[in-house]
Amino acid sequence: MKMHTEWTDKLSDYLDDELEAAERAAVEAHLRECADCSAVLDDLRRVIARAQAAATAARPPQTDLWTGVAGRINCIRQPRRVSLTVAQLAAAAVLVAAVSAGMAWQFAPSIAGRPDSESSAANTDRTVASSVAAPSGSSADLQVRPDGVSLIGVSLADDQYDAAVADLEQALKQGRGKLDKATIAVVEQNLQTIDQAIAQAREALASDPANSYLSGHLVETRRRKLDLLRRATALTDMD
Amino acid sequence: MALSGDTAVRSGMNEDVALAAAGDASAFERVYRTHVAKIHSLTRRMLGSHEADEVTQDIFVRTWQKLGQFRGDSAFSTWLHRLAVNVVIERRRSFAIQRERMTDDPAALDFVTVAPARADLTVDFEQAIGQLPPGAREIFVLHDVEGYKHREIAVMLHITSGTSKRQLHRARMLMRKHLDGL
Repeated sequence: MKMHTEWTDKLSDYLDDELEAAERAAVEAHLRECADCSAVLDDLRRVIARAQAAATAARPPQTDLWTGVAGRINCIRQPRRVSLTVAQLAAAAVLVAAVSAGMAWQFAPSIAGRPDSESSAANTDRTVASSVAAPSGSSADLQVRPDGVSLIGVSLADDQYDAAVADLEQALKQGRGKLDKATIAVVEQNLQTIDQAIAQAREALASDPANSYLSGHLVETRRRKLDLLRRATALTDMD
Repeated sequence: MALSGDTAVRSGMNEDVALAAAGDASAFERVYRTHVAKIHSLTRRMLGSHEADEVTQDIFVRTWQKLGQFRGDSAFSTWLHRLAVNVVIERRRSFAIQRERMTDDPAALDFVTVAPARADLTVDFEQAIGQLPPGAREIFVLHDVEGYKHREIAVMLHITSGTSKRQLHRARMLMRKHLDGL
C-alpha cells in the first residue's frame, strides 16, 4: 500500500469534521481517486468505532479497592484537603514532627508492657509497612484480630511506595540545579523533618502495632513525604 | 462523553450521593461500587494497569473530600468523571512526564507487531491503547473513548488544539496497525 502522508495526515481531521470546506472537498476528491487512502480512512473509522465500543465496556479492578479507600477516608476527618505550598508544608512538617515526638513519648512507654505487644515485635515492621502502604496498595485486606482490633494489611505495596520515593528523589536530585538555594534548603529541611517524624511514628508503632491512630498518622506522614517530593519535583520541571 | 450520558445511574443514587456528602461512609461505598468500573477503566487506559489501582483509590478519596462541593448542577457521574480526569492529569504532571510524553518518538511506530489473540477483542484493544506513547494515548482516550473535544483537551492538558489533533491522528494511525494484526 502506498501512503500519501500529505493526504492521510488530514484524514482524522476529515473524520472529525475539523476541515474547512475547501480542504474537505480536496480530500474527498483525492479519496475518490486513491484506493490506498480510502483504505486508511476505513481503518481509522474502525479504530474510532472500537474506541467508542470500549467506552461502554468498563471493567472493574481485579482486586477490591474499597478497603484501601475506606481506610483512607476513615483517617480523614476534615471534609476538605487544603492544597499547601512548599512554605506551608514546611510548617506542616514541623508540626508533624512535633506531634510524632509527642506521641512516641506518650505511647511507647505506656504500652510496652502490654502482653499483645511482646510477640509482635518481629512482625512490626512488616505490619507497619503494610498499613502505611494501604493507600497505594492494590491488594488490601482487612484483618480483624481476636481482640476486635482491625488492621489493614497490604502486600507488596510498600515496595511500590519505596520505588516511587526513590524515583522522585532521583528526579529531584537531577533537577535541583533548576531550584534556587533557598528552595532547596526548605525542601531538604522538610524532607529531613518528615523522615524523622516517620522514624518516630515507626518506633511508637513498634510498641503498639495495633494502634490505628498511629497507623493512620504514619500513613499520612509518608503520604506527606510523597506529596512534598512530587511538589518539589514539579518545581524542577517548570521552565 | 461516556459518563455524562450514563443512564445507568441507579435508583437512589442521588440519595446515596447526598448521604455520602453528609459523611455516610456506607452510602459512599455504594457510590464507589456504582462507579468504580468506569473510573478504573479510565485510569487504566490513561495511565496503565500499574498505576490504575492506586490512582483509582486517590480519585475516590478525593471524591469523598470534595463531595460537599457537588451542587447537582450536572449529573454526578459527569462531575466524578471530570474530577477523575483531573486527578489523572495531575498524577502525570507530578511525575514530570508531561514534557517527554508530548515529544515525538519514531520508535513508537513499531509497536504492536504481533497479532493479538482474538478471544477478547476489548482486552486486546485496551492492550494496544496501553502501548501507545503516553501523549498520544492520553489524547486518544480522552477524545475517542471518553468523548472530549479538542478544545476541552487543550485546556485540560495545557496544549494547543493543533497539538491535540496531531497526537490524536498519530494515535489512530498506531492503533490502525493493531487492527492490521487482527
